Formats: sequence, C-alpha cells, structure tokens
Amino acid sequence: MYLNKSLVEADAFEKHLINRKRKKNWGVKAIGFTLMLTSMVDMFSMLVVFLLQTFSSSPEILITKGIEIPDSITPSIVKEAPVLAISKDGNLYLDQKLVGPTKKLVKNPNPLMKKLDGIKQNWGKTHAGVAFPGEINLQADKEIQSTTVSQVMAILTGGQYHSIQLAVIGHR
Amino acid sequence: MRKKTGLGKKKELNAELNLTPFIDLLSTMVCFLLITAVWIEIGTVEVKQSHGTDAKESKKVSYDLDLVFKNPTAMHLNLKRNGRTVKRYKVKGEDFKSTMAQLNSTITSKVLTYKNKVIEIAAATITPRTGVNYGDLISTLDVLRKNKIVNIGVISARGK
Repeated sequence: MYLNKSLVEADAFEKHLINRKRKKNWGVKAIGFTLMLTSMVDMFSMLVVFLLQTFSSSPEILITKGIEIPDSITPSIVKEAPVLAISKDGNLYLDQKLVGPTKKLVKNPNPLMKKLDGIKQNWGKTHAGVAFPGEINLQADKEIQSTTVSQVMAILTGGQYHSIQLAVIGHR
Repeated sequence: MRKKTGLGKKKELNAELNLTPFIDLLSTMVCFLLITAVWIEIGTVEVKQSHGTDAKESKKVSYDLDLVFKNPTAMHLNLKRNGRTVKRYKVKGEDFKSTMAQLNSTITSKVLTYKNKVIEIAAATITPRTGVNYGDLISTLDVLRKNKIVNIGVISARGK
C-alpha cells in the first residue's frame, strides 16, 4: 500500500530506484522449510522400539534420599512390601517416615516393632484367612556396617518378617 | 507409482501410507514410554532368616554352609551335615575382590564337589563382622547365589 502510494507520488528518479529494488527482489526465491518425514519416522520408530525393550511393568520402590544402595549381579524382581531404610546419617525410616536413630532402635526396638505390628495387622484385615508372608524390603547404604544391618534383620525376624528383600541396583 | 496406460476409466491404486496419524501415534507412544521409563533397575536379593522359621524345611536337608567373616579379607567356610561340621575351609585374599574370587573358586571346586560327589547346599548362613560393610555383604551373597545357593540367612552379630 505504501509502495503504491510512493509509486504514485514519487518523481522519476525515485520511481527508477523503486523499480530497481523490485527487480532485485524478483530474483530471490521464497524461503520454505521441508521436513524430512522419512528420517523423522525412522527416528521415532527406533525410539519406540528401544523404549519398549526397556519397559518394565514390575513394581518399583522409592529409594530413600541419601541412601546409596549396593550393586548386585544376581538381582531378583522387586516385590510389593513395606520398605525399611537404614540411612547413612544413622536414622531408620519405615515407608519414607522417620522411626528414629538406628543405634537407639537396635537397643530398644519397641517403636519399630509397634509400627511393624501395625502394618501386619492392617495386612491381616485386608487378607483375611491368608497366612502373613512376612516380606519386607530393606534398603541400606553400602557403607554401613554389616553388623548394624544384621541386627536390624534380627529385629525384623523377631517381628515375623523373615523374608527380607535387600534392595540392590541390578547389573546383569 | 506406475501409471496405467490405455485404460483411462480405471482409477489409480493409491497405496501411500497416511503419515499424519502414524506420526501422531508414534509421538504419543514416545511420550508415554519416556515418562514411564525406568532408568535405574532396582532389584532385590532375598534373605531367608532360617533361624526360628520354617525356611530350612522347604528344601531337602543335605549339607549346610556357614560363612564366618574374620575380617573383610578372611573368612571361614564350615560345611555341616546334620548340624555337625564335617569340613572347614579357610578363605583369604589380599583385598576384598581377590577374597571374593577365592571364595568363588573354593565353593565351586571344593565345597560343591565334597569327597568327589556333587552335593547340594540346603541352607547357608553368613556371620558378618565389624569392618565388613553392607556392600561387601551383598557381594558375598552374590557369590553364593551365583553358585545356586539361594536359601541364605544372615546371623545377627553384635559389633564383633
């Protein structure tokens, strides 16, 4: 619109300049983007295949913050059970909730036993007539003394949790 | 696509794949799988605390194995039958890694072929000790499980 106006109002030299500019622009090709669909579909298919291969439908457990769990070359699949975690900072957590310092609980396991009994009773209410499997997931930092872990395991055995699943990072 | 010549009335066969829904489906799948992807594979190592439970009774009683840590690089292996020690093996290495290699070879070549007979280990127990950390305990469990000893218990040991 402005160009037309200028064409009408411009003098001969200005007309010449405008025409020259127009002629210059006529030679320029329109910029267009073409998406390479074949390679994009190829990439998507590869991604889908890779992600489907690594897909896992087995239950997952949360690793308690601050715990570096050890590696294992003979891991089994995780079972759904309460998670007891022995942290490097000396605290013991049951299902992500702080129970207390591990040293204290090893000497006096009553607070832990109460919580474990609560879980057992709840399980009994929802699974009437079924024997308690006594399964529990135990997470512990790999730098923790094995004697501490064994003492906690003894408390668990005392509370009828005799099938202890030690959480590890699997390397097959 | 090859054009048909001569028969002008017949329509061309259009076998081109409609890419739009295909790309839609692929991108939805990629998003879903990326969100649900598990990058760290968490597994478990099962420990059956055979003392005071019926875990021992679940297998035929043949031989039992007691693994007692003396320190992180030395341990005793007690092969038991009916609760009585029939053979004791000492395992020692320069570092923990070599001790584990030594343990593996002792179990494979001596324990599982005791008196030149292939034996079955019904249950194994590990007695930890101060200085042996939890990561080392898991490595020891790995060695046992690798040798098809799966019924393993950990004995409670106070800061020895």
